[in-house]
Amino acid sequence: MDLKRWLARLRAAGGITVSQLRHHRLRLGLAIIGVGLAVLAMTLLAGVGVGVLETGEQQFGAADRDLWVTAGETRLTSAGGGGFENSLTNSRSVATEMESHESVRSAVPLAFETVYVGTNGDGEFQTFIGTGVPTSGSVVQVTAGNELSGDPHYANGSYDGERTNEVLIDEETARALDVEVGDTIHVGGSLAVARNTEMTVVGISPTFERMLGAPTVVMPLSELHQVTGTTQTEPATFITITLEDGADIDTVQTSLAKDHPEYEIRSNQEQLEAVLQEQVLILAAGGTLVVLALGAGIALTHTLLTLVIFQQRAAFGALTAQGISSSVLILSVIGQGLVIGILGGIVGTALTLPAVDLLNRLAVAVVGFDGLVQMSPAILASALAIAVVIGTAAAALAGWRLSRTPPLENL
Amino acid sequence: MVPPSSPIPLVSDDDPAGVDFESPTAPSPVVRAANVTKIYTRGSDPGRLGTLLGRPDAPRVRALENASITISTGEIVGLAGPSGSGKSTLLHLLAGLELPTKGTVTFQETDLETLSTRERTRLRLEHVGIVFQRFHLVESLSARANVALPLVELGVGKRDRRKRATALLERVGLGDRVGHRPGELSGGEQQRVAIARALVTDPTLVIADEPTGELDTETGQRILNEFERIADDRAVVLASHDRPTLAISDRIVRLKDGMIRSDGNK
Repeated sequence: MDLKRWLARLRAAGGITVSQLRHHRLRLGLAIIGVGLAVLAMTLLAGVGVGVLETGEQQFGAADRDLWVTAGETRLTSAGGGGFENSLTNSRSVATEMESHESVRSAVPLAFETVYVGTNGDGEFQTFIGTGVPTSGSVVQVTAGNELSGDPHYANGSYDGERTNEVLIDEETARALDVEVGDTIHVGGSLAVARNTEMTVVGISPTFERMLGAPTVVMPLSELHQVTGTTQTEPATFITITLEDGADIDTVQTSLAKDHPEYEIRSNQEQLEAVLQEQVLILAAGGTLVVLALGAGIALTHTLLTLVIFQQRAAFGALTAQGISSSVLILSVIGQGLVIGILGGIVGTALTLPAVDLLNRLAVAVVGFDGLVQMSPAILASALAIAVVIGTAAAALAGWRLSRTPPLENL
Repeated sequence: MVPPSSPIPLVSDDDPAGVDFESPTAPSPVVRAANVTKIYTRGSDPGRLGTLLGRPDAPRVRALENASITISTGEIVGLAGPSGSGKSTLLHLLAGLELPTKGTVTFQETDLETLSTRERTRLRLEHVGIVFQRFHLVESLSARANVALPLVELGVGKRDRRKRATALLERVGLGDRVGHRPGELSGGEQQRVAIARALVTDPTLVIADEPTGELDTETGQRILNEFERIADDRAVVLASHDRPTLAISDRIVRLKDGMIRSDGNK
C-alpha cells in the first residue's frame, strides 16, 4: 500500500516536473543556457590549465632530448640590464665534456638572452628573446624560408670565423617588426651593438616561441654570444643531451650527476616540473582561475536552480496549504533540477569543442601560442557530472527550504 | 468521506464521548477556537549578541485578541471587518495553517497544538478545503490535474482521480474546460476550479479568504451560489468585507482591531 502510494506520488511529481518544464519554456531555456555557460566556463578554464601542462610536456617531447643540464635557475633576472639568468658558463666545453660520456650521442648548449631588435639602425628598437643554437644537433622547425646555414663564427672557440648574420624569427616577431624572409634587421645585446649589427631573416620558426610563449629571434650560438658580449664566458641557459639508442636514461642521468655534481641534470619530466616550479606565480594564478571557475560554475548553477524553484513558491505554498506533502513537491523540483542539469551540461559540453577550437585559433593569431586550451574526455565528463549533481542538489535544497517554510509565507 | 488514514480521532455514532455528526437537530462543531490570541513578530529577534549591541526587540503585532468561535456542520459563517481586523488570521488558525500564540483551536475534538506540522498538513488534506483570493492554481497543470492533485496524497487511483475531478468540474459548470490550463480560463472559471480543488477530498470545513475579491459582480455571484450549494453537509467560513458575500452567510462574525465585536445570525 505504501509502495503504491509512493509510486503514485512519484508519478504525480514527474507529471508536475514535465508540465512545469513544458509550460515555462523560456525559463527552462534560460536556465539551460545559464547552466551551459557555467559548464563552458569550467571546461575552458580547466582546459587552459591542462593546456599549460600538456603543451609543456609536448614541447619537451618534441625537443627530442633525453636530459637537460642547468646550473641553477633559468628565470628572468634584472641583472645586467635584464634577461635570462644564464648561469651555465663555459657551456661549449661542458657540452663537449658531456658528449664524451658513455651513451651520450650529443650535448647541445642553448642560450636565451634579451636582445634589442630594430628594422634600421637609426629607428626604434624593441626587446625580444634572442636564442642561440649550435647548428649541429639542434632541432629547430622551419615553416618558411631556410634553416640556419651553420655556426662557422665559433671556429673552435677562436670566434674569428665568418659570421653568417642569419636569423630565424617567428610569425609574431615578423608581424611586430613588419618584416619577412629576406629582409634585414638589426640585433644586439645593447643598443650600440644593435645599431651596428645587421642580420638577414632567412626563415620563420615557431619552435622557441612555442617553448617560451614569447616572440624570439634565433641565431647561431656564437653570434648570440658575440652580439651580447659573452664570448669569454659562453653562458647557456641549459645543455640538452640526446642519448644513444637503447641507452637507459636513469643510468646515464645518475652517472652524469656523479661526474658533474655542480649541475642539475634532469629528465624531460623533471625539467618540466622544475620550470613550472619556477613559474609558481603563474601556476598559482592558473590554479586560482580553475578554482574560481569551478566555484563560479557551482555558484551560478546553484543560484539559477534556486531561482527557478523559488519562482514556483506561490503554487507550492498553495499546494502545501491544501495538504499536499512536501515529498511530492521536493521530488518534483528534484526532477526539474535533474533535467536542467543534464540539458545544461549537454549544451555546455557541446559548446566546449567549438569554443576550444575558436580560442586556440585566436591564441595562435594573437600571440602565436598553439594548443593554449586542451580538452580531454575527463574534463568534459567532470563538468557534465558537476552540472547534473549541483543542479539536482541545488533544486533539492531549494525544494527542501520551500517545504520548511510555512505555506502562508510562500503565498 | 473521511479517509481511513486520518490522524484525527474520528468519533462515530456509537461513541458516547464523541459528537453525533449525523444528528439533524444538533449540528456538530467542526472547529472551535477558544480565547485565541495571535501575535506576529516583524523581523527576527536580536538574539544574545544583538541584545548586547543594543538592538531593540523586533516589533510585535497583535493580530487577534482573545477570540472565541465555534463553527458547525451545515453553517456558512461570514467573517466581516475592515482590513487588518484579524479576519484572515482567524481563518488561518481555524484551518490549521497557523497555531495561536495563546488559546486553543480544536478540530473535531483534537487540539491542533498537539499535532506535528506533518499531521496538520495531513489534517488539512483530509478535512479542510481552502479557496484563496488569488486562486493559486498550478499554472502548468490542466484544470482537472489541479483538482485531482490532492487525491494523489490520499492514494486514490488514477482513474478514480480523473473521474472525481471531472465530476466536480462539471458540478461547478466547467465540464467543457477540464483540459484547459489556468491561463486559458477567466478569473471566475479559475476560482471555480479552486473551489473544485477545495472540495475534491470531501472536506468537513471549507474556508475562503475574499473568494470574490478579484472577480466582477456577476462572476462573484456565481461563485457565491457555489458556496451555498456546497454548504449542506459541511461548514463553510468566508472572510470578506464584501456585502454580497456576507449576505449568503447564516451567521456573521464581525471583527475589529483583532477582536470579535459581534457574533450572531443575520
